[in-house]
Amino acid sequence: MQERRVVIVNRLGLHARAAAKLVRAAGEFASVVRLERADGGASADAKSILSVLMLAAARGTELKVTAEGADEAQAVEAVCRLIEGGFGEES
Amino acid sequence: MGDDEQTGQPTVSVGEFVRAAPARLGLSVLAGGGGLSVRRINSSRIQKLGLALAGFTHYIHEGRVQIVGQSEVWFLGQLPEGRRREAISNLALGRISCVLVTKDLVPPAELVEAAEAEGLPLLRTPLVSSAAISVVSEHLQQALAPRELRHGVLLDAYGLGVLIEGESGIGKSECALDLIVRGHRLVADDTVEVRRVGAERLTGCAPELLREHMEIRGLGIINIRELFGVSSIWAGAKQIGLSIRLERWGEMKEVDRLGVDVSEVEILGVRIPQVLLPVSPGRNLSTLVETALRVHLLRARGRNAALDFVARHAALLAHEAGGAGGGGESGEPGENVSAAARSDFSDEPEEA
Repeated sequence: MQERRVVIVNRLGLHARAAAKLVRAAGEFASVVRLERADGGASADAKSILSVLMLAAARGTELKVTAEGADEAQAVEAVCRLIEGGFGEES
Repeated sequence: MGDDEQTGQPTVSVGEFVRAAPARLGLSVLAGGGGLSVRRINSSRIQKLGLALAGFTHYIHEGRVQIVGQSEVWFLGQLPEGRRREAISNLALGRISCVLVTKDLVPPAELVEAAEAEGLPLLRTPLVSSAAISVVSEHLQQALAPRELRHGVLLDAYGLGVLIEGESGIGKSECALDLIVRGHRLVADDTVEVRRVGAERLTGCAPELLREHMEIRGLGIINIRELFGVSSIWAGAKQIGLSIRLERWGEMKEVDRLGVDVSEVEILGVRIPQVLLPVSPGRNLSTLVETALRVHLLRARGRNAALDFVARHAALLAHEAGGAGGGGESGEPGENVSAAARSDFSDEPEEA
C-alpha cells in the first residue's frame, strides 16, 4: 500500500471537469485507488466520478491519496502529479 | 444516378429523370428518345430557352432542363421558316440535356425534327410552365442531393432518426433488433443511403434491395415487417437527428464520464450530435441507446441534467471554499469560485 498527501492548488478546486480527468487517470491502473480528505471528512473511490465529486474539495483542501495493488506506486504518483499540477489548468 | 467525374456533383440521365419524375408531371417523350440514356442533368435549376431562341445563346447551361412554354412556341411560330430553322440550329442541340415543352403545346415541326436528328430528348407535360418548373426543381433537388452510403443501422425511435454505427460484429443489428422489439422502427439495416437535403438536413433511407430486411448472425436474413408488423417499419426517408457510435471498451480513447461535452460527427458536410457508447459484456445496449435518446430529446428541450449537476457541485465547492476561508482573495470568495466553475462550461446552453 502506497500513501501520499497532496493539496489542491488550482483555483476552481476539484471541480467536475478536473474530477473527470482524475477518474480517467486513476482508471488507467489496476490498483484500488482512494482519496480521503485529510480533515477526516469524506473518502472516495478515485475511479468513480460521483464519489470524487462528493469530496467537495475546494482549493487548499489536503487529500490523502492511497493505492493498493500491483501498480500502486505508479498510481499514487500519477494521481498526485495531476493534482499538484493543478489539473493542467492555469491557476 | 452517377457522379460527374470532375466535380463529384451527382447527375441523372434524362431517362432516369423521365422514369422517376412525379406522376403529376405527366411526362411524355415527343422525340429524341435515342438520347435518353446518354444525356445527363446535373442541376436542379431550370432554364427557359426564351432569349437563346432570339440569338443570345451564350448563357445556355448544358446540364439543366430547358423549358419551352407559350412564349417560345409563339415566338418560333411567327418567324418565317428559314429564320425558324436558323434559330433552332443556333441552340446547338447536341449539348443541351433535354427540352421540356409545357402546357401540352405543339412544338414547331422543325424543333421536333432537329431533336430527333440530334438525339435530344424532347419532353412534354400538360402542366403550365410555372407549375412544371416547381415540380421539376423539387424533384431534381431530391434526385441530385449529395449522397453517401454509410455502414450502420438507421432507426426511428421516439420520432427521432438515430444512426447506429460501429465496426462490423460489434452488435449494431442485435441492438437495433432489441429496439424494434421495444416498439421502435427500422429504417435501414447494414447500409444506409444518406442524403443531404438543403444545407443542413440529413435524411437516410434503405437501398431498394435491403428495404424491410435485416441480417442477424445465426438467424440469417429476416423480414422485419413480416415478423413484427407494419408498425415496426419506417418506409422511405427519415431525417437523421443523432448518431450513436458503438466502440469496444478497451479501444475507446476517452470515455465521457460527465456528459457535459457534446461530440459531433460530420456527414456530407453537416454536423450532427454523436454519442460514443462503450460496449462490453453486461452492458445492455438497447437500454443504453434508448436512454441516450431520452437524454438527447430532453436536452433539445432545454433540460441538461449534467450541466445542472455540475452547477450544483460548483456551488458546493464555493460554499466549502468560503466556509474554510482559505480559498478566496476578495470579499465574496465563494461566489467567485462558483461563477468561474460554471463559466468553464459556458460553451453549453444553460439557463440564465
